[in-house]
Amino acid sequence: MMNVVKRLSRLAPAIRTTLSPNLIALRFASTPSITSIPSQISKENVLPTMELDKLYKRVELEMRGIDAAVLLSYSWFCVAAASHLGIEVTKNWALRKAEKERHTLLRCVHIYKKHKVQYEIRTYFRFIHLQRLTGSTCDTYLEYIQRNLPEGCALKVTKIECQKLPDHITPPTVE
Amino acid sequence: MNSSIRLAQLQNSLSSLLSPALASQIHTSTPLCRVVSGKYRITKKRDRPLTYEMANPPHYIAHRKSWNSWNTSSLKDGLRRSETAVEDEFIRRFMTGTWHGLVCSEVIIKRQFNHIRVAAIIRRAVSPTKMYFLLGYTEELLANWLQCPVTLEIQTVESFKDVVFKYI
Repeated sequence: MMNVVKRLSRLAPAIRTTLSPNLIALRFASTPSITSIPSQISKENVLPTMELDKLYKRVELEMRGIDAAVLLSYSWFCVAAASHLGIEVTKNWALRKAEKERHTLLRCVHIYKKHKVQYEIRTYFRFIHLQRLTGSTCDTYLEYIQRNLPEGCALKVTKIECQKLPDHITPPTVE
Repeated sequence: MNSSIRLAQLQNSLSSLLSPALASQIHTSTPLCRVVSGKYRITKKRDRPLTYEMANPPHYIAHRKSWNSWNTSSLKDGLRRSETAVEDEFIRRFMTGTWHGLVCSEVIIKRQFNHIRVAAIIRRAVSPTKMYFLLGYTEELLANWLQCPVTLEIQTVESFKDVVFKYI
């Protein structure tokens, strides 16, 4: 009897649907456009386990630029954005002088060793430390900061995360 | 040259001449120690027009002037120095050639991530239809060659006289 049913189901799809009404329900449930989902659906497709947000102890921004005034104005922008989002800004400082790369070249194409030209390329630095952020706040803030980075400036971000100690590490027991 | 460049001169035997007692002899530097780049000679009739950028020689760059191309290639651990410089030179020549005789200022090139923004002052010698065509044409071709999104930010001016700072 079962062999007959199997042969019939392979031959004609219409017959298959009439014979097994469960198939209709499952087929409709798999398409996303239908309104009601029957409760027979397996619970594996429902929401995955909630991921907890990461916690950052400190986020360090290092800004490098050609012009110290541009870096100063950008740091004002960063601090203002942090205050709007409620982020704590602990440090905002710049090195007193830029890092300089110097080259000494001969002034003339041919001979005249005593006459030279010196060039220097300056990189100014600025640092901002933000304290105690959540992962989503950090992502939002950094996205906003990076989109508005001025030309001629570079940004380096270091994030220090707080993680829970793994379970296999236990405090020493007093014996 | 992009980024901050400062010229410092190594003078050979003139330290004795810089004392205040001999201030009248300061101009006796040897010809080789003189800086001649970026400086324009005065004319007898005093009718040579100079824009603000031309009027300030290169030692005023971080003080009264600003740079013409802004990018991160010259910073410490910056990448693509030579390619960026070559691309900038290409963009400048292309702009001067496409808007032939219409560009009144230096062409300023700013790069933010992938995006290149080219700015210049153009004089209104051509009809607006042609200006819009040239705008689109430049943006399309530069974006195709440099493989980056290119935006042109041009400002127009009635004639070259509106851009002149002084006559020399």
